[in-house]
Amino acid sequence: MNAAIEVSNLSRHFGDIRAVDNVSFTVTEGGIYGLLGRNGAGKTTLMQLLTAQDFATSGTIKIFGESPVENASVLQHISFIKESQKYPDDFKVKHVLKSAPWFFRNWDADFANSLVSDFRLPTDRRIKKLSRGQLSAVGVIVGLASRAPLTFFDEPYLGLDAVARQLFYDRLLEDYSQHPRTVVLSTHLIDEVSNLLEHVIVIDDGRIIVDESAESLRGTAATVAGTKTAVDAFATGRRVLHRENVGGLASVTVDALSPTDRAAAAKAGLELSPVSLQQLIVRLTNTSEKEFEQSA
Amino acid sequence: MSTTITHSPVAHETPSSDQHTISAVQRIANVAKLHLVNRGAVLWLPLFIMSVIWVSSMLIWWIVSVLIERAGGSPDGEGPVIMGGANSFLVIYMLVVAVQAINLTFPFAQGYSVTRRDFYLGSALTFLGLSLFYAVLMSGLAWLEAATGGWGLNGYMFGLGMLGIVELAPTFYVYLLALLLFFFVGAAVAAMYVRWRAWGVVGFFTALGFLVIGLIALATFTDNWGVVGEWLVANGAVGVALWSLIVTAAAGVAGFFILRHATPRA
Amino acid sequence: MHVDESRPIFLQLAEQIENDIISGALPEESQVPSTNEYAAFHRINPATAGKGVNVLVDAGILYKKRGIGMFVSAGARTVIVGTRREQFHTDYIEPLLGEAAKLGIDREQLISMIRKEPTS
Repeated sequence: MNAAIEVSNLSRHFGDIRAVDNVSFTVTEGGIYGLLGRNGAGKTTLMQLLTAQDFATSGTIKIFGESPVENASVLQHISFIKESQKYPDDFKVKHVLKSAPWFFRNWDADFANSLVSDFRLPTDRRIKKLSRGQLSAVGVIVGLASRAPLTFFDEPYLGLDAVARQLFYDRLLEDYSQHPRTVVLSTHLIDEVSNLLEHVIVIDDGRIIVDESAESLRGTAATVAGTKTAVDAFATGRRVLHRENVGGLASVTVDALSPTDRAAAAKAGLELSPVSLQQLIVRLTNTSEKEFEQSA
Repeated sequence: MSTTITHSPVAHETPSSDQHTISAVQRIANVAKLHLVNRGAVLWLPLFIMSVIWVSSMLIWWIVSVLIERAGGSPDGEGPVIMGGANSFLVIYMLVVAVQAINLTFPFAQGYSVTRRDFYLGSALTFLGLSLFYAVLMSGLAWLEAATGGWGLNGYMFGLGMLGIVELAPTFYVYLLALLLFFFVGAAVAAMYVRWRAWGVVGFFTALGFLVIGLIALATFTDNWGVVGEWLVANGAVGVALWSLIVTAAAGVAGFFILRHATPRA
Repeated sequence: MHVDESRPIFLQLAEQIENDIISGALPEESQVPSTNEYAAFHRINPATAGKGVNVLVDAGILYKKRGIGMFVSAGARTVIVGTRREQFHTDYIEPLLGEAAKLGIDREQLISMIRKEPTS
């Protein structure tokens, strides 16, 4: 398997702010990846670096084996419509549909048109006058219909209603099945997309804190709740990702439990509940490094 | 019913599956097409506004000339009446087009994964094309205006009589050079804005302001205004316009290098 | 299929297909939906769906017909029911006895409780 993205020791500093801080990871060709993290964690900066819209302070990026910076032969295989994408003044939806095929070799106009009617997008309306959801739909349509070998979706469903979001997932899976490619979904709303993802990269405070297959992340943590004394006894010697106390009760999120652990917990009168990907990431990103090390 | 079991199906969309890559010439032409895809902004709107300026000016001039005639005078006897407006509007509008192209179309083109180099060259091509188009149009109208005796009313708006230019060819050159100047200066200033935001532009104009003041001071203290005047007279309007090419070229080159490291921001 | 957050999705899909085979929704020698169809239906990653299906192929529950698709193997139902019966002890009997002990229900009481349940 070839690497679609290879990043090593990548940093991007804005003055004192380390938007991306010494990051290394690899994305292999083919697959739906999640780039997850809170708002302001560095997702957009990272994608801007990967697509050569921004310049690294240090480190290297290889896209399909080459640096993307000012490299047309690499960039023409990338589609990245930012969540905050700017459009020319007075541009209408139809202007986007007309111009996109000039820049994406794999553009499928019929697919784009069917998406336009699926999302009920008014083609003669100015981009400026679109609602947030309609604006997201424009980005989604360009991302899907471009069929670029490396496609980024940046917070693709911002402002989309439930129906439109399901539509996006369905169209994405459908088209991905017919035309497999490397897709990176960047979002801070994780629960809805977690089942679509094959691999998850979590960025927090400019650093990558998780880089694992979605399946192995599933069930890597569990929440144990009960009386404070019982919970404390159970949690001793385990890595605690998160802790909540209410009166004499406590609830902790700990690493995956073996069947023996589960039996022990049940015996101690503790209640076990699964931790969703979103909860896990919230736990991981809320916990400061220090707390991590202390309880490890 | 088709079934794919393993997850590595036959045909991935990979760079190698893109059989044909887009040639550099095609990429640059595509950027030019992108600038022109919304014809309204670069063609219909300026042409419409220019027509409105022209028609309203002519109406006013017609009313005035009727009044003069009633008062016993003859408008034709007063010599040609030069009305500005349309030409200065057009040149300034094109400056705005250049600013928008860099400030808005550039971030958009980045979304289409266009390199800065291709974007700038495509934009320069567009500016050149639009300058040629409007220079032909304006000098053509100037010629028609002269041929019809100021649209039959002795009113002149497109000709460059006020600069002492009457012939078709120099009219064309001056328009072309002025348009190119405004396009590329607008693009360079906008590139400064995209790269260094407002402070970059403020810094540049501050520096430029001091430079101009310095030159004025230099000419004044060395009593060289006479030399400047002589130079202007000696070169004539066309000559001065030709010298503007230096500024245009400098702005064009500077714009390229400034944009080369600019990052579109939200 | 309701996706359970605590376990890998591919295992849940494999179980779901097994359930369909046990219930007869997918009879032996019938064609099963493609990976992509499963992915689209459950809105899950196609690679994950593929993994779930492959688990059953490796176990001999499903087999591939080249260029046509996936089919339920002959005898698959018996195999699945056999395995499930083995699991029944750990999955149901042990927790049942544990809970009963906690509540002070002895074996005899438990058996009579089961007897009283109407058969479905």
